[in-house]
Parts: sequence; C-alpha cells; structure tokens
Amino acid sequence: MTSKHQDPPSTPYAEVWGDTVDLRHLAWAICIGIGISVLGYYCASQWLISVVESRQLAHAYAMLAGLAGCIIAGVICAKAFPPKRSVTETEISIDPQWREEVLQELSLQSGGMGSVSDLPPVVAQELKELKLYELFADAERAEHAVAPSR
Amino acid sequence: MDPHLIEQIAVAAGMGLIGAIVFAGIGLVSGTDETTTLAPLTLLTVLLGVPPAGVFTFFLAGAVAKHMTHAIPTALLGIPGDTMAMPLLQDANLLRKLGVPHIALRKMVSGGIIAAFIAVPLAILFAVMLAPFGALITETAPWIFLAAAILIAYFSAGRWASVALLVPFVVVILALQSLTAKYDVKLSISYFLGIAIGPLIADLFTVLSPIGRRNMGREKVRQFNLAPDVKGWSGYFPNPFKVLDRSQTRWTLSTAAVSSATFVFSPVAMTVVLGEVVGSRIKHAYHRLTTVLSARNGVTEATYIAEALIPLIAFGLPLSPVAAGPAAPLFNAPPRFTVDAANGQTHNLHNLLNHWEFLGYGMLAVLLAAIVSYPFAMNFARRAALFVSRKVSHEAIIATFVGLIIVISVWEGQLLGLLVILTMGLMGGLLSRIFSFNTGVQFMGYYTAVLSVPAIVKLL
Repeated sequence: MTSKHQDPPSTPYAEVWGDTVDLRHLAWAICIGIGISVLGYYCASQWLISVVESRQLAHAYAMLAGLAGCIIAGVICAKAFPPKRSVTETEISIDPQWREEVLQELSLQSGGMGSVSDLPPVVAQELKELKLYELFADAERAEHAVAPSR
Repeated sequence: MDPHLIEQIAVAAGMGLIGAIVFAGIGLVSGTDETTTLAPLTLLTVLLGVPPAGVFTFFLAGAVAKHMTHAIPTALLGIPGDTMAMPLLQDANLLRKLGVPHIALRKMVSGGIIAAFIAVPLAILFAVMLAPFGALITETAPWIFLAAAILIAYFSAGRWASVALLVPFVVVILALQSLTAKYDVKLSISYFLGIAIGPLIADLFTVLSPIGRRNMGREKVRQFNLAPDVKGWSGYFPNPFKVLDRSQTRWTLSTAAVSSATFVFSPVAMTVVLGEVVGSRIKHAYHRLTTVLSARNGVTEATYIAEALIPLIAFGLPLSPVAAGPAAPLFNAPPRFTVDAANGQTHNLHNLLNHWEFLGYGMLAVLLAAIVSYPFAMNFARRAALFVSRKVSHEAIIATFVGLIIVISVWEGQLLGLLVILTMGLMGGLLSRIFSFNTGVQFMGYYTAVLSVPAIVKLL
C-alpha cells in the first residue's frame, strides 16, 4: 500500500466520463478542441458581421461555425489519438463459463428459469435457431434433478 | 392544396431528414446525451429562422433516430448509449453473454419503433384532453413548477436528499443570475447545457487533483468483445412485427400506451417500473429477457415523446424533465421563442402550431426517423459499432464536447457565459455523483429559480 502512495501511477490511463483515456492525450485533445472551436467562432463572427445584414443571423451563423470547429477538432483528435480500448471478436457463447454464469443469474431472478414447455412455439423455434434451446432445456433438467434432493 | 402548406411540409420533411441522419450518427457514439446534442442543434435551427414546422420535425426526428442507434453500443458492446439506456443494460448484457447480442439489439430497436408510432398520437390526445386546463396551469405556473420540481426530486434516486438539495441549488442559480444581471447579461442555455455536461466537467476537475487521479487511474485499456452477427431476414427493411413475437408486440404496445400518458416522471423510472411489471408476467427466462427488453425500450421512447409533446402542446410551458432539458429550445429560445416568467405568457411552438399540425409533423418525424435509423440499426449495427470503437477515441469525443460547451457559452454570454457553464457543470456534476441529484431534477431546479422564485418573493 505504502509504495502505491509514493509512486506515481505507472500508466497514464484514467477513466474519465465513462471510458479510458490517456491523460497526456486528453490534455492535448482538450487544447485542440478549445483552440479550433473558439478560433472558428471568433473568425466567423468577425467576418459575418461585415457580410450578413441581420446581426442576429450573423450571430447564429457564427455559432454554426463554432460547432463545425468542434467537429473538425474531434476528427483531428480521432486521427491523432487512437482509442484506448481493445476490441476482440471472439464468439463468447462458446465459453461455457459465461453461459453457466448467465444461467445461474437467470435462475436467481424472480420468476426463475421457467420451463421450455411454457414457451410459445415461435419462441421455441427462435431458441432452436440460436442453438440455445438445448442449453435452456438442460439447465431446466439439472434444476429439477437438484430440487427433490433438497 | 394550398401552396403555402406544401412548402411547409417540404421544409418539415427536409429538416426532419437532416435531423434523422445527423442524430442516427450521433447516437452511435456512447455518452452523447440528448441535452448536449439535441438542445444546441435545435436552438440553432430556431435562431437560423427555420419555420416552426421544420424546427419541430427536426427535433422529433432527431430524438427518435438517436434512440434507435443508441441501442447499438448498449447491446453490442455493453456501454450505455446514454442515461436513458441504463435500465436496459443488465438484460442486454445477459443476452450478450449468451452470445446473442444481435437479438437484444433487434428486440430493443423494434420495440422502440413500434412505441414511437403509437406514442405520438396518444401523447397529442392526452395533451388535447389537458388543454382546457391550460389557462389555469399558466396562471398558476410558478407554483406548478415548484410542485413538479419537488415531486420529480422525490422520485429521483436521491429521494429526500434531492428535495433538500433543491434549495442550495436554486440559490446558486439566483446568485449567478444576479451576477450576470449586473453586466446586463441574461443567460438560459448556458445553465442547462452546464447541467447536462456536468458529469464531464466534474470528472475533468477531479482528474486534475492527484487524489482524484489515483482513484480514476487504470492499469489497462478497457476490453470489449463483439460477437459475430447473424442476419435473420432478407432485404433491407425488416418488419418490426416479425422481429417481435405476438406477446412481445402486445406488451410493447400496452406499456407504451400507458407511458405516453405520463409526463412528469423520469423516463428512466417509468422504464424500470413497467419493465418489472412485464417481467413478472413471463414464465420462461429467455422469453422474459427479450420481452422486457423490447417493452423497456418502447417505454423509454414513449415516455420521452410524451414528456416533450404533452407540455408543449397543452401548456407551452416546459413542465417535465425532457421539456426543460433537451426540448427546451422548443419552448424558450430568445428572442424568437419566449416564456414570460411573470405571468406565464408564452410565445413558442405551442402558439405557432395547431393540434393537427403537431400530429401531422409528429408522425412525419417518426416516419423519417424510422426510414433512416431503423434499417441502419438493423443492418449495419455491427460494422458501425466496430468502426466507432476502433476509430473514435474517447479523447476525441471529450475534445468535441469541451469545444461545444465553450462555443455555446461564449456565444450566449462571452466570459460570463463560460463562468456560468463551468460553475453549474461542476456543481451539478458533483451533486449528481454524490447524492444522485440527477440532471432531470436539476433542470426543474433551474425553472424553479426562473419561474417560482419571483412569485415566492412577491408573496413575502
């Protein structure tokens, strides 16, 4: 514990607003975001006041320019800083442990697992197409096998 | 047909299409809530002088389109598309772990689209039924806002803490208002944008502090898994009534109808409660998961539409969390749309469109959103989720939103606008994090400060 207090975090990652960021990248991204959008807004408002007759309309268009600046800043940051996420594409349903977890959670819900014989035919068909029918039927049998011994 | 009407319909269709396309895209990026995106862009359409029909269609098509695509990160990656998707996350995650996230997505999106189509006419019907009380409501508006704020606060997760927090929260708003009044500046959007973006501002301040950084530090990047997709229909436009089975359609329709009548409760609360009701009636666990998901997403959609439309059509006063937040520019966008604090007089879409126009343009908006967003969410969800998670970094999203709040606040009130948005954001974000004093309650707090407090002061 004490070493944790003395050492600065070894990785610059942090969770901000619901996702992982690199703090140095974040600092740069915020500077870019503020810089481009504010620059866009001020340049546009200076230019528009001399071009557009109605002041109010010029003011509204300047906001549009500022918002366009935000989008540009976003695109630049997306190119400059890669996402800090790792996305895999495996079929997790193959993982028996995940499935086991889900079945356990479902049987603990109020209403329990229920019986496949209660399913309307369309839903039973849907489960068969998803190759999940047997999984639920087995789980149900296992539940019934345990129940009497209790 | 009247050429003027044809022109109005053409403008509305064009604006609705733009809204649907833009917000179908925005919905893919998780964390983008409606208030920070829909409110500024709707305000922009108002200020640029788009006719009332165009503004309304833009707003509604955008909202409905976004609600469909925000189901994509929720179902496929397990990240809530926004706060409204929170109650759906648990069931969606269970289906994801079973390896069938695409089923979760299809059920959600199909429930949403069916609900949207029935919510618009029903919400308008309820609004018309409430309209005779409009005069009474506008006269007593300050007190009704006060009562609504307390009610909504009590029903938020913070309960009595939220009710009590209304007092200091309103005081801070009043203090900020008198500060800006010294310089002849009157702000509105800066307040509710600050409230909406609060969690981000609070996080950015926290991460600046070494103690906060220690708590928020992460060793590794986040892990996501995207399961392979299976297409279950032929052609481009799937039939939502075939994606849902008969009992799912029935539950979605009935819960959406019920929630179309409610407009003061938070969409999240309605979604949770009605979802529980549906869940208790379904015997088998898998069928329960999919039915609850479709009904819940339908309820979210219907409550959202009702909360925006009923107060707008019946009273012209932003009397619900959605109306006070994301839909605020439909009510109040000075100098074009105004709500007079002193006597409850309004000049906004309530006065500019009649009931039939609301119905016609409302259905047009839902139709446009359905044409753009529904087949997109059904066909390209996986590719879109992969693109966003691999190409769009969170830093880029934060940069865009930091730029957005600065542009809007500086646009509205120069330096004072910026100070107000920072103060409101930091306070609102921290109160929401610590006490669950959520943004819906905060929006109502803002209107309490603007509308109720002057009336209370007059009594003293």
